Amino acid sequence: MENRDSETIVCRCEDVTREMILACIADGYETLDEIKRVTRAGMGPCQGRTCRQLIAAELSRHYGVSMEEVLMTTFRPPAKPISLGVLADAYASENG
Amino acid sequence: MVIVGGGIIGCSVAFELAKRGRRDVLVIEQGYLTSGATGRCGAGIRQQWGSVLNAALAVESTQIFENLEEHTGYEGDCGLNQGGYLLVAYTQKEWEQFQRNLDVQHSVGVDSYAVDLEGIKGIVPHINTDGMLGACFCAKDGHADPFHCTYAYARGAQRMGVDIETYTQVLGFEVDGGRISSVKTDKGNVGANVVLNCAGNRAAQMAALVGDELPIAPERHQILITEPVAHIMSPMVMSFHRHFYVQQTPHGSVIMGIGDPSEPVGCNVRSSWQFLEHCAWLVTQTLPAFRNLRVVRQWAGSYDMSPDRNPIISEAGGAEGFFTIAGFSGHGFMVAPRTAILVANHLTGLEDSLDIKRFSASRYKEGELLLEPSVV
Amino acid sequence: MKAVEVMVIGGGPAGLCAALSAASLGAKVLLAERDGTPGGQLVKQTHKFFGSEKQYAGDRGVHIAQMLLDKARVDSNIEIWTDSAVLSIYEDGVVTVEHEGKHAKVKPGRSIIATGAAEKFLSFPGNDLPGVYGAGAVQTLMNVSGVKPAERVLMVGAGNIGLIVSYQLAQAGVKVEAVIEGAARIGGYLVHASKIRRAGIPIMTRHTILEAFGEKQVEGAVIAQLDDNWLPVAGTERKIACDAICLAVGLSPLAELAWQAGCEMAYIKELSGHVPIVNEFLESTISGIYCAGDVSGIEEASAAMVEGRLAGISVAVSLGHGGGAAEAMQREAMGELGELRAGLMGRHIREGLAKMDSLAAEFGIRNSEFKTPHAAAELGIGCEVQDISISATSPASALFSSGVPANEDIAKICPSDERFAAGPVAVVECFQEIPCNPCVKACNRGAIAMPRDINDMPALNARLCNGCGRCIPLCPGLAIFVIDMDYGEDLALVKLPYEYVPIPKAGQLALGLDRCGRELGRYEVVRVMPGGKRNMTHTVALAVPKELAMEVRAVGVL
Repeated sequence: MENRDSETIVCRCEDVTREMILACIADGYETLDEIKRVTRAGMGPCQGRTCRQLIAAELSRHYGVSMEEVLMTTFRPPAKPISLGVLADAYASENG
Repeated sequence: MVIVGGGIIGCSVAFELAKRGRRDVLVIEQGYLTSGATGRCGAGIRQQWGSVLNAALAVESTQIFENLEEHTGYEGDCGLNQGGYLLVAYTQKEWEQFQRNLDVQHSVGVDSYAVDLEGIKGIVPHINTDGMLGACFCAKDGHADPFHCTYAYARGAQRMGVDIETYTQVLGFEVDGGRISSVKTDKGNVGANVVLNCAGNRAAQMAALVGDELPIAPERHQILITEPVAHIMSPMVMSFHRHFYVQQTPHGSVIMGIGDPSEPVGCNVRSSWQFLEHCAWLVTQTLPAFRNLRVVRQWAGSYDMSPDRNPIISEAGGAEGFFTIAGFSGHGFMVAPRTAILVANHLTGLEDSLDIKRFSASRYKEGELLLEPSVV
Repeated sequence: MKAVEVMVIGGGPAGLCAALSAASLGAKVLLAERDGTPGGQLVKQTHKFFGSEKQYAGDRGVHIAQMLLDKARVDSNIEIWTDSAVLSIYEDGVVTVEHEGKHAKVKPGRSIIATGAAEKFLSFPGNDLPGVYGAGAVQTLMNVSGVKPAERVLMVGAGNIGLIVSYQLAQAGVKVEAVIEGAARIGGYLVHASKIRRAGIPIMTRHTILEAFGEKQVEGAVIAQLDDNWLPVAGTERKIACDAICLAVGLSPLAELAWQAGCEMAYIKELSGHVPIVNEFLESTISGIYCAGDVSGIEEASAAMVEGRLAGISVAVSLGHGGGAAEAMQREAMGELGELRAGLMGRHIREGLAKMDSLAAEFGIRNSEFKTPHAAAELGIGCEVQDISISATSPASALFSSGVPANEDIAKICPSDERFAAGPVAVVECFQEIPCNPCVKACNRGAIAMPRDINDMPALNARLCNGCGRCIPLCPGLAIFVIDMDYGEDLALVKLPYEYVPIPKAGQLALGLDRCGRELGRYEVVRVMPGGKRNMTHTVALAVPKELAMEVRAVGVL
């Protein structure tokens, strides 16, 4: 079958395709953290809720390691986007 | 030769050494490349400094950033975006300092200039100039992608024969007859007669392992990034008085951070809600148009603070061949390209127009601090 | 800064039960729910739940949500914040919430993370075309928003979600072209599979999706058969025309707040991903932070509700509430969890939780005084464990790959000719050990029994059964039928559960369908008995030729 990895989306927030992920792996990147920084996969508002697992599976396949061994990226606050205005108002109301 | 630390400093030094024929170099990194401060930094590139030394390092570094792909043979894109730095002044004292800084900057060829409130509006139309006295601007300042820049250096170095070991911990060093002889790691010992300590906020810890006491202390700095929006702001906007910096990346997201004078010394890189609210308030006071932007992530990194907020490049007293290149105090990324050349020239016996001795740790004893008036 | 004793994050089945149990012991609880109404996934579950009475078996998820919420709303110890997404848990223990347009800070004495799960995604060409949905999204569209999501759907995944959503699509009048499943066996409950097979929906095991195609939106999918190594078999590709592709390929724990809080995490494949390591009281490695429900391992909602209850009791106890009664309550919840996990279907959960146990011990958070809830079964609390299949069907039975009971399966449960001759009798077509027992409770005469526990298959004592049909609408799997062979000279009366619209009317002719949804003929609807407001399952009595009495298993309205 023809290769259609360029039409296969892995990270929906940042439009990262499977082709880009496989290119990173071919390029020698070994960790989710590196792939995240090269491609922006997982840097969108959902922070990789779905793509982390898909990329981890590619790494697991390519390097022959179990999913348990694939190092994960961490989730950072906030879990859901929040506007600067709401945050600024909280500061203003509590700090005069 | 072993380099401890795979951030921008360790990788750029490895590259410049290899370029000068030193290919027996091993870079040891405890995580992945850039997993320390480099990968967490705001990655601004600023030439508007207040001391000649910093301005010179920054000017020449910027020139290298402008051609980093070519310089290192990198196929990727280092993401350089020269949208300028707009340094806004809120106090008379600051405004006067800016005038003096311009003289310093012009002496080393920085194309910077002062603008009045109208000029500020011309550069960032939606800015709130209340309380501002004026600003300085340099169109050639900007920022780059810290990950790609580091990888450009690392890949270039590897092509010339440099080895890089990631996920490797340095446990200690052996000194033989007053000279460094090997590096102990969790994966075994490596013989080395030169060790370059580029461990950032852990540099003092590393130096202590050979009995060298260095005044470098880790300090948490926090940062946040918003969802991407259409391009509405080119330069980095920065205030020393209000302790903030903010810029829009080419991707469209807005990245910002603040300096917190009350931040304690420590390796903590956890985020806080206090930062989130304070930073949002500070930045939206000056840039109210950002109020509706939503924060998607916050994180923290660690500055390697030195007493005069300038790097320490010096050899350990008790262990010949053990050099520390650290203490950049939050601006290591932007001066790395030229600093790496300075270090590589020194280690390979080549001449350099800059005097490396000025960065020696002995300056603290001798009272010859490298004072820099313009840092956040 | 708002101080509370207990903060429950997430108002789904686990969170609601956690809040209720902590509050019942006297703890002051703040429940934060992201949506406008608490209930989580329960609000879109229009099917009846399995489990036992204690986990509201036989009730529909949406009704359970209402029931729990009604209790929580009148409980003076519970404050509910809706439309309030929890953003972060910081190092200083502060939980931030976007609440009423403000950045609210809450300082709880204890937190219970009950954030549930997110749907997994697949990578295939065209997977970003409009029309590629998660099954949960389709459920939300249909059952919450009242929007018909598509006309023709391909369902990917034959776990419980894939099967249940296919059934609900069929109920909504959407044509489900096929349910495809990569594994050789159907992962969900076979009664769910049988239900959709009767609706004429094919289930294709060992099949995968290769691509979605379409200009501006999904116009179809290419599927193919898989070999034993899960690789597509060349030449088996075929196109399926559809306007939506629904992915039901599993859930992963929504544990980002636990990551943020600094809880130790582990990848445990049996629990479907990265989960916070918790001890027997569901406390994580960060003291005072508890996790309940799918966030610490994907299971059925019934288990999530009991976990929520256990976490709620445990935080209340740790805050000094509850007195002596609390320990018994903890034991009871642990026993229920043990029971729910004791059967064959709970095997992988038990394996995952065994890993969890050793990790908890490694991190020094195990409390040796108590047995763990998940190991409770092994330790004899509540029930026995069935480790070896005692299935009436051999694992090789076609039932496991097709969802249609084979003749040999039917032969095992079919009442004798003598029994048929003696009058109406129930036919219980439940061939799998799943944790479910409403049929036992349904029968006043004690004709249906589960000798060991709720994971047993129902055993019908045909002598005691009088064919009253009370069990028909009460079986959550719609797997019980009643046959009266003596209805007429040549006719038998078959009573069938029915949950579609329109409702057939007595006296009309209706289609009799077999176990694969094939039309057998047009037969008279003799009676239609409504299931009532809460149950909602109709029982339709159809007069069919005697020789087809064991074939007709569904009704189609003309």
